[in-house]
Order: sequence, then C-alpha cells, then structure tokens
Amino acid sequence: MKVKKIIPLALIFLLTTTMVFGQSKRKKRKEANIKWNYEIKCEGISNNGDFLLKVFSFADNRSLDMETAKKNAVHGVIFKGIISTDRSCVTQPALVKDINKQKEEKAYFDKFFSPGGAYTKFVNLTTGGAIGANDRFIVKIGRKRYHKIGVMLSVNKNLLRKELEEAGIINKLTSGF
Amino acid sequence: MKKYLVLLLTLMLTGAMYSQAKKPTLMVLPSDNWCITNGYYLEFDNQGIKEVVPDYRKAFQQSSELLLAISKINGLMADKGFPLKNAESVIKNINSTSALDNLRSSKDGGSAIAESPVDQLLNQAKADIILQLTWNVNSMGPKKSLTFNLQGLDSYSNKQIATAAGTGTPTFSSEIPVLLEEAVLSFMDPFTNSLQAHFDDLFKNGREVSLRIKKWDDWEFDLESYFGADEEELGILIEDWLADNTVSGRFSTTDATESMLIFEQVRIPLYYDRNGRQVAMDTRRFARNLSSYLRKTFNINNKLTTRGLGEATLILGSK
Repeated sequence: MKVKKIIPLALIFLLTTTMVFGQSKRKKRKEANIKWNYEIKCEGISNNGDFLLKVFSFADNRSLDMETAKKNAVHGVIFKGIISTDRSCVTQPALVKDINKQKEEKAYFDKFFSPGGAYTKFVNLTTGGAIGANDRFIVKIGRKRYHKIGVMLSVNKNLLRKELEEAGIINKLTSGF
Repeated sequence: MKKYLVLLLTLMLTGAMYSQAKKPTLMVLPSDNWCITNGYYLEFDNQGIKEVVPDYRKAFQQSSELLLAISKINGLMADKGFPLKNAESVIKNINSTSALDNLRSSKDGGSAIAESPVDQLLNQAKADIILQLTWNVNSMGPKKSLTFNLQGLDSYSNKQIATAAGTGTPTFSSEIPVLLEEAVLSFMDPFTNSLQAHFDDLFKNGREVSLRIKKWDDWEFDLESYFGADEEELGILIEDWLADNTVSGRFSTTDATESMLIFEQVRIPLYYDRNGRQVAMDTRRFARNLSSYLRKTFNINNKLTTRGLGEATLILGSK
C-alpha cells in the first residue's frame, strides 16, 4: 500500500525535477544567445556619420529576436570596434578600450542594454528587419546547431560616444584640458 | 556665514579652473605634396636660393574640395570639443599685415625681411598641432577611388603624433566631393583615437617641448665657463637643472657647443604648485624657472623668448 503511494509521488517528483532542470537549461541557452555572441561586418557609412553594419547573431531557430541583433550591434561598436575586411569601410576602434569596463560598470550596462533601454536610441534596422536569403547559415557550436542570421542595421557612433562620455564611461578628447 | 560660503565656492571654482592643462590649438592645412601636385605653389627666393613653397591662399581661393574637407574636419573636431583655427581666416589676416612688412627694411643694407609665406602663416597662426591633409584620386578605367591621408604633426617637436590613412573602394557612381566627405567621416575616429593616445601620454609623461640656450655675442662668458662653488661648466649645470626639473629627468641634448645648447624631447610637468594650488605649466613658465635659477644662483642675466606652447629660447648675457 505504501509502495503504491510512493511510486506516483516519485514519478511526480521526477517529472517536476525534469521540468525545473529543463527550464534551467532553456534559460541558459537563452542567456547564451544574448551573451554577446555575434559577428559584425561593416557595410558602409552614411552622410551623417551613421555606420551601416551587418550583424550576424546566433539563434536556436530560424526566427531571431531583432532586439538581440540591435543590442549586439551597439555592444560591438562599444567594446569590439568595427573591423573592415575590405575597402568599403575603414576599421573603427572600439569606444571603450578597457576590456574590464563592462564588468566594472555592470550596473550601468545592465540598465543600458535592458529591454527598452538607452541602446535603442543609437541603432536602427535599415531593412525593416528583413533578412536576406544569403544571410542565413547553420553553424555548429560544440554539439549544438545554431542559426547564424545576418541583419542590416545602422548605428550612430557619434551620439553613442557622447552618451558614454556624459556617463563618465569614456573620457572626452578634451579631458584634462 | 553666507560670505564665507561664497568665498569658499569662489576659491573652489578658481582652483578647478586653474588645475587644467593648456589646451593645444589645432589647424588643418593641405600638405606640401597636395599643394604642389595640384599646382598651388610659389617659387620663393630665400636669400638667393630658389625654394618651392605651397601657396595656401591660392589653394583656398580655387579649390572647393579643399574647403569642403577642411569644413568637415573642423565640424567633427568642434563636435569633440576641439574647434580648430581656420587657416583661411589666418591667411586673410596675414595679407593685411604683409603690406606693412614690405615697407620694412634693415637700417644698414635696406634688405627686406627674409620670411617665407609658410613662415608667415605658421608664425601668425601659432597652431600647436597641424592636421596635414592629403588626398589623391585614383582612376582605374571608369572607376575612381580616393586615397586619404590625415597626419597630426606637433609643431615644435616635429613629430607625427596622430594618423589616419587608407584607400576607399573603387566606385563608378560617387562624385569626388562625396568620396572625400565619406573619407573624412570614416577616418576621423581612428585619427582622434591616436590623438587621444598622444594626449594620454602627455598627461602621464609630461608635455614635450624644446629648449634652446644661446648667448649674446658681447657676453664675456660662454657655456664652457666655470660657475658655482664646484667650478662646473655652465652647460653641465644647466643639464643638471633639467634633470632635476623635468618629468623623470627626461630630455635629450641634441647640440652642445660653447655658445649654444639645444634640448629636445624635454618633458615638462603639466602643473606646478603656486600658493598651495596646482597651476597649468607651459614652456614659458618652465624656461622662466631656469632663467630665475641662472640669475639668482650665478648672477647670469638672460632674455627669454618663446614660440607658442612648445619652444623657448634663453639668451644669456643680458636682457
């Protein structure tokens, strides 16, 4: 009798544990998606100084969250710079040169990149979020397959620099004078 | 109580104002290469030797692309807090004063002042950093591309302290002014990045200046004369003073004769203490300290002259 009661309880316990761990793994994958895993390619510069970028982000499936792509673009301009592999663009230095700055200013950047955060002021989708046929790839990272999806965006680097200068994250050119 | 608060605030503000280094002045000029290649040059008689010098006035009057590039650079630098001196305005000002110089001649021989148009511009503009601009249009059949080169040159150490250069993508469609504008927009951030590195070095290691020591012909002593209790050569005493007063004792003696000493790469501190607060140091103040030392310690009268922020000359013997 007792065994009959224990088995369903054990099953419920096992099921619950699996669900909890499953959620935890899904959350980790989601976190992995937004943990700044991207590639940036410079496509040009507009007359007002906005940089046209193609940002390749990684997603679990064919649909990419456009906000992830926007965050990746702004994050790349701030911390990694824009590397140019051909003559269509000039390689741009990162706005923040100190690689530890993101950790040191965690509170600021967590708020900056939060949903609806300040990052949205400096980036725009140039093709309305449309993804070109040649901008989808499937890549393998470890044992997992991800969709590598490219999106065209423009980033206003000048305004972004001013924002970071005002926040004290980077020094102005005239600092000390 | 209110009076004390106001006084305290005033003192704090004044202190804040004073504890800032003097901002260098910047000016954009086309390079000699660009001017001569595009036909904007003068042949100048420098005391019997023919020299070719850029004709900036003609370049500003006749090249709208040059004005566009300079205007764009000026705008981007002003946006970063560094409004530039406008070379065209300086040149217009020079023209109004050159008429007066043309009337001057020496008392003995009636010869005119030997000064090239470039010397006039640099002496009047007194820009500490020259942004030297060069671009070339490359043609490959119907396609054109632009090679762009922007160099930041320190006027007094003559060192290149910042740079941005490269060639853009060949294109059928864009006009040259558009290519030029895109090049300026693309290269400004890498350029200011290297300029920032120079300014960081400035704050860390001191400002780099030049110092010249000369003597009047009628002074009975020279730089090999012995002074002081230890009977040491004056040139060595001056070097000892520099070792004690420069940042980390950094300077280079490039020339040393009995009548002249030239020091380059002299690293002077950006601030000095005055009445308990930090005040901005410049070359003149630094050289004035040496001048006072020579006068008070060895009774050597001297004259101090300067050229902008980065070069000072002390002439020993008298005022």
